[in-house]
Amino acid sequence: MANSPAAASHEHHIVPTSTYFGTLIALIVLMVITVAVAQFQIPDIGPLTGTVLNQLVALIIAGIKAFLVVTIFMGVKWQTPLTKLWAVTGFVWFTLMFIIMGDYLTRKYEPLASWRPNQETALPRTIHGGTPMPMVDPNEANLHPRE
Amino acid sequence: MAGAHAEPLAHGHDHGHDEALHHQFEDIGQQNESYLVGMWTFLVTEVMFFGALFFTYTLYRLNYQYDFWVAHEHLDWKLGAFNTTVLLFSSFTMVMAVQSAQLKKRSHVMRYLEITVACAFIFLGVKYVEYSSKFADHLYPGISFSTDPKVFGEHGFVNGVPMVNMNHAQLFYGLYFGMTGLHAVHIIVGIGVLTALWRLWKNHAKSVTVDYVPTELVGLYWHFVDLVWIFLFPLMYLMPTPH
Amino acid sequence: MSATSIGTSEFPKQGQEEVNYLNYDHTLRSWLTTGDHKRIAILYLISTTFIFFLGSLAAGMIRFELTSPAGVVLESETYNKVFSSHGVIMVFFFLVLALPATLGNFLLPLMIGARDLAFPRLNLGSWYLYMVGAALMLSGLIFGGIDTGWTFYTPYSSMYSNTQVSLVIIGIFFSGFSSITTGINFIVTTHKMRAPGMTWFRLPLFVWALYATSVIVILGTPVIAITLLLVVFERLFHLPIFSPELGGDPVLFQHLFWFYSHPAVYIMILPAFGIESELIANFARKRIFGYHFVAFSTIAIAGLGFLVWGHHMFVSSQSMYEGLVFSLISFLVAVPSAIKIFNWTATLYKGNIRLQSPMIYALGFIGLFTVGGLTGLFLGSVGTDVHLTATYFVVAHFHYVMVGGTMMAFLGGLHYWWPKMTGRMFNDGIAKWNAVLVFVGFNLTFFPQFIVGWLGMPRRYHYYYFAPEFQPYNIMSSLGASALALGFLLPAFYLTASLFNGPKAGSNPWGAHGLEWETSSPPPVTNFLETPIVTDEVYDFDPVSEYEQLRAAQDLLDEGGNPGGSY
Ligand code: HEM
Ligand SMILES: [Cu+2]
Repeated sequence: MANSPAAASHEHHIVPTSTYFGTLIALIVLMVITVAVAQFQIPDIGPLTGTVLNQLVALIIAGIKAFLVVTIFMGVKWQTPLTKLWAVTGFVWFTLMFIIMGDYLTRKYEPLASWRPNQETALPRTIHGGTPMPMVDPNEANLHPRE
Repeated sequence: MAGAHAEPLAHGHDHGHDEALHHQFEDIGQQNESYLVGMWTFLVTEVMFFGALFFTYTLYRLNYQYDFWVAHEHLDWKLGAFNTTVLLFSSFTMVMAVQSAQLKKRSHVMRYLEITVACAFIFLGVKYVEYSSKFADHLYPGISFSTDPKVFGEHGFVNGVPMVNMNHAQLFYGLYFGMTGLHAVHIIVGIGVLTALWRLWKNHAKSVTVDYVPTELVGLYWHFVDLVWIFLFPLMYLMPTPH
Repeated sequence: MSATSIGTSEFPKQGQEEVNYLNYDHTLRSWLTTGDHKRIAILYLISTTFIFFLGSLAAGMIRFELTSPAGVVLESETYNKVFSSHGVIMVFFFLVLALPATLGNFLLPLMIGARDLAFPRLNLGSWYLYMVGAALMLSGLIFGGIDTGWTFYTPYSSMYSNTQVSLVIIGIFFSGFSSITTGINFIVTTHKMRAPGMTWFRLPLFVWALYATSVIVILGTPVIAITLLLVVFERLFHLPIFSPELGGDPVLFQHLFWFYSHPAVYIMILPAFGIESELIANFARKRIFGYHFVAFSTIAIAGLGFLVWGHHMFVSSQSMYEGLVFSLISFLVAVPSAIKIFNWTATLYKGNIRLQSPMIYALGFIGLFTVGGLTGLFLGSVGTDVHLTATYFVVAHFHYVMVGGTMMAFLGGLHYWWPKMTGRMFNDGIAKWNAVLVFVGFNLTFFPQFIVGWLGMPRRYHYYYFAPEFQPYNIMSSLGASALALGFLLPAFYLTASLFNGPKAGSNPWGAHGLEWETSSPPPVTNFLETPIVTDEVYDFDPVSEYEQLRAAQDLLDEGGNPGGSY
């Protein structure tokens, strides 16, 4: 298979039917494997529970399937470098969203006990160490001023 | 870029692809790569679009593992697997349509497009069956959402104790309908685009017959729809038992 | 002199009106079905200007209401609707697309020597998408308005607000897709349509900026599209995605919202940076100092801009560890912005500076953006932000960058390219004074807001009777707003007037450097009569000819003429 960029634009490369058909078969086999793996429980290995492993296997297989679709069916394998660049950009950038997990995973850890006011070790919530903080009734503060 | 010399604009380009070449391009190679890059940048936006949904799913799934697992019991993985096969097969016929377009075999292109559209309809038919069963069991989110964990079968209710928080189950079905619904919208749009392409081929339109790239662009879209489902299927239908 | 090979000098033909993109066909139909990027730019210019004045109207109401500690005329609910309308209109329907879709659309093909964008019909389609979106949004504002603010925070927007949230959001969805199609168009055009010899490092910096902006648009906009769509799903179809009652997380909405909306502030400012580079280089008549640094800092901002969104959520129950990381990266993103500022000022050094109206806007931009960017650092450090968040300090910060930055650059660019777009020269004398008026009016409006915000005045309230000492600042601000309004209105008049009585501009009225100045003004339908071949570097001001020009200008001055070189 010619892997030259020119193949994509001008003398376009014609992929034989057998390659496409082989890909289809591979995709269906992979799907059958995912379904089969989901039917029984993988035992825990070290810190990874079987649940996690099961899901990992399913996602890895899905990733392989996606890779096959993108490279063969969508023809990225035979495209110019520019097209390849844009083909991967979305998938790479999407992972940035998982920075959000950093928030959810670390929220429960607080560096100082005093930051949790209802704990016994916490300091009382006061201004200037003296008078307790005045409670403002939010509804009262919202009264319309002109009446 | 094309020639290294200034070409007068008014003159045509002595090229077999003339009828399909738009005025802003110098030659068909430039035009075709522009189309492909344009389509891929569009697909980048689609990846980010569905990406946010997949992220939302991941977060809630991690938060409510057990509830989501029980809730997913109502989904029938056999129907899901069937639909996956249908979509994979339609991707294959789509790519064969593109190949036939490269070889300029018009009747083959039309035949393959017909099969692809047929697969799309089968997919939607199965989805209709699945959605109906959810509606029948009051699993569409909202005030009428079922309060009875028994709808989830043996795992919902063990020894008279409900095993699932129905609010979280509702969250799961919110994601289920949101994600598969948007995917189904993409399928419907795909049917429209495929049909339009088929009509162009039927009418011997120069815009598609001279060069294969317009057919390939539709193909890229269709494969993307398949791609989304490749991930939706294991995430929605094949959750492992938590323990 | 330039070494490009296009012969525009024999243009126009003697005695007859040249055919250009404006006059080759006068029917309305030819405008509404055009594929010509220059005409679409004009369509965008008209529609965004209209939208901008609607948004300004809302701003005027806000400033009027705040002249008294107890409010003046508006009810609380009405006030909520007014500031929400202002934000939605200005952010989603003006700032994120005004610069790319008008000046960018017009100039990108001209600057790279192409006949058009890669996808002209898509370009027209994007204008229609924008119009549909604007119509939906406006109908939403008319039939009930929205009271969520431009940020649409859940669960208020998704569960409680009884206003036209869905309609407005669907309008935003359309305008978002309009930006996306423009972005795709620009990216492909920059990659594939450059004229022979137009290498990446011969691109004007405005093109770099448009490219980076488009990358942000296509990576970010889909995220807000789906996030807002989920709010609509929740409102209309009861899908409980962000509903805390059922275990959903409203803070997730904020994450996804700012995942787009922080990068979106760079969508607004990067094209302004690009225009700024053009103005500074051409009016200081020097190659931009550190061209490569400026180009790469544009890309760096586009990338880093995606990693700082959490600085909007320091007090939204975000984990404090993640807050610290976001704070750190926010400081990092200020580095490439500062590189630009330093390079512009370095370009001015020993430049042959001409203080024509675009340059006055450009100089104003440097000052105002610096203030806006530096106060961003105040807000970006967690400790100070806890006190400053949701006060007028934030309001002042983002107006310094969005109005002081983007609007100043937009006005500067509009003046600069106006002769190219219309073929007519405007009255530069009025324009200079207008630039000064905008600068002064702007500072009078927004500087007091820093102070009053620092003192603790919260944003989004229509009274402050609990702190009447805020009144002088607010009065100052409202007075400044009136001056600013005048400064925005005047160009609409004198620029329009120039269409009727302005002198003919000629192809290069500013003596500027760049491909767009080498075709006639207004340009012919296909931009260039033949495909240009680029052989010279960008901003390649030749010192010898510069010297001769200076001599000529001096001679003119000696004879009592106008040395500005404009007309
Ligand atoms: C030096 C770079 C910048 C930094 C470090 C920065 C930092 C911040 C921070 C921390 C906030 C949140 C304040 C709060 O809500 O408590 C903020 C708000 C904001 N910034 Fe910036 N900023 C920068 C540049 C810009 C630019 C260039 C723009 C626009 C062109 C911009 C537009 C905004 C807007 C619109 C908001 C308010 C959002 C809202 O409605 O809550 N910023 N900025
Ligand atoms: Cu920000």
